[in-house]
Amino acid sequence: MKIPLVEKVGKQNDEIAALNRVDLRAAGVRCLNLMGSPGCGKTLLLEKTLEALRGELSIGVITGDLTTTRDAERIARHTKAVVQINTGGGCHLEAHQVRQGIGKLDLPSLDLLVIENVGNLICPVGFDLGQDVKVGMFSVPEGEDKPAKHPQLLLQAGLLLLSKVDLMPHVPFRLDVFLADLAAIRGDLPVLALSATTGQGLGAWLAWLRAFAAGPAI
Amino acid sequence: MHEMSIVSALVEQVRAFVPVDATLLSVRIEVGALEHLDDDVLRSLFGLLTEGTPLAGAGLAVERVPLRVRCAACGTEHAPPDPAALFCPSCGVARPEILAGSGVTLSSIEVDVPEGGE
Repeated sequence: MKIPLVEKVGKQNDEIAALNRVDLRAAGVRCLNLMGSPGCGKTLLLEKTLEALRGELSIGVITGDLTTTRDAERIARHTKAVVQINTGGGCHLEAHQVRQGIGKLDLPSLDLLVIENVGNLICPVGFDLGQDVKVGMFSVPEGEDKPAKHPQLLLQAGLLLLSKVDLMPHVPFRLDVFLADLAAIRGDLPVLALSATTGQGLGAWLAWLRAFAAGPAI
Repeated sequence: MHEMSIVSALVEQVRAFVPVDATLLSVRIEVGALEHLDDDVLRSLFGLLTEGTPLAGAGLAVERVPLRVRCAACGTEHAPPDPAALFCPSCGVARPEILAGSGVTLSSIEVDVPEGGE
């Protein structure tokens, strides 16, 4: 006997993500899910961001990694509101892990929660964590072909960061191809080019974050 | 390699639909064209995760769902063959809203229910 069904596989994750979203919104916390390759500069950008917005925005960070607490140790130099999640080999964060992380934070004291996903351009994309926006991050040394290879990340993102632009003169990277490929997938996706090392472009990123943090908690 | 997460969730969801005393024969899922999931890995993991359980022995059929989008600029619906080239054939811009071709859906199960089982 065949039983026809229409059920999303992984709805358990979505249900927990919905609970996260309810809790975050009740506490007035805006949440972004930062996704990019290993080594694209997510942690350094967060460190610079926390420094720049110190005293202005209260930012919590949940950082996901396969192993080690190195990212959390770096973040902890800039904020006490940091939780490290080790996935033990898991290639992405799931909503239940973020739920545990949220439980360790004093949500009402935060304006913004940044979830630094496991460095990976593929697996994190399909897992809702309860965020208000997904932010994609590519770095210049990865090459200009990242948009063409990762359309699903771009289709879900509300913002794309191109990091390490200070390396543009030193590595082969065709910006025109990068932008043309991006325009073929999401002509409306805002892109911010920046370097956390030199500070280039950080002003626009901080302005975006301020506007995002002030946005409606729906 | 997020196939493990997907298949773990799938097995749990399938279990809820299999009637008591019935034998699960097969499971069919639809995988969107945008998903980076390997069919062989999905099938192997399904075998592995059902082994030694009442669901053991059931096959997993994987069907690919083509991408279908609606242009947010002009409303035209189209089915782009290449997920990295999403220009609207009517107005030429790429502002796609995904209608189909994303995510994984459990679309049917086949079970053998013993006669007089009520």
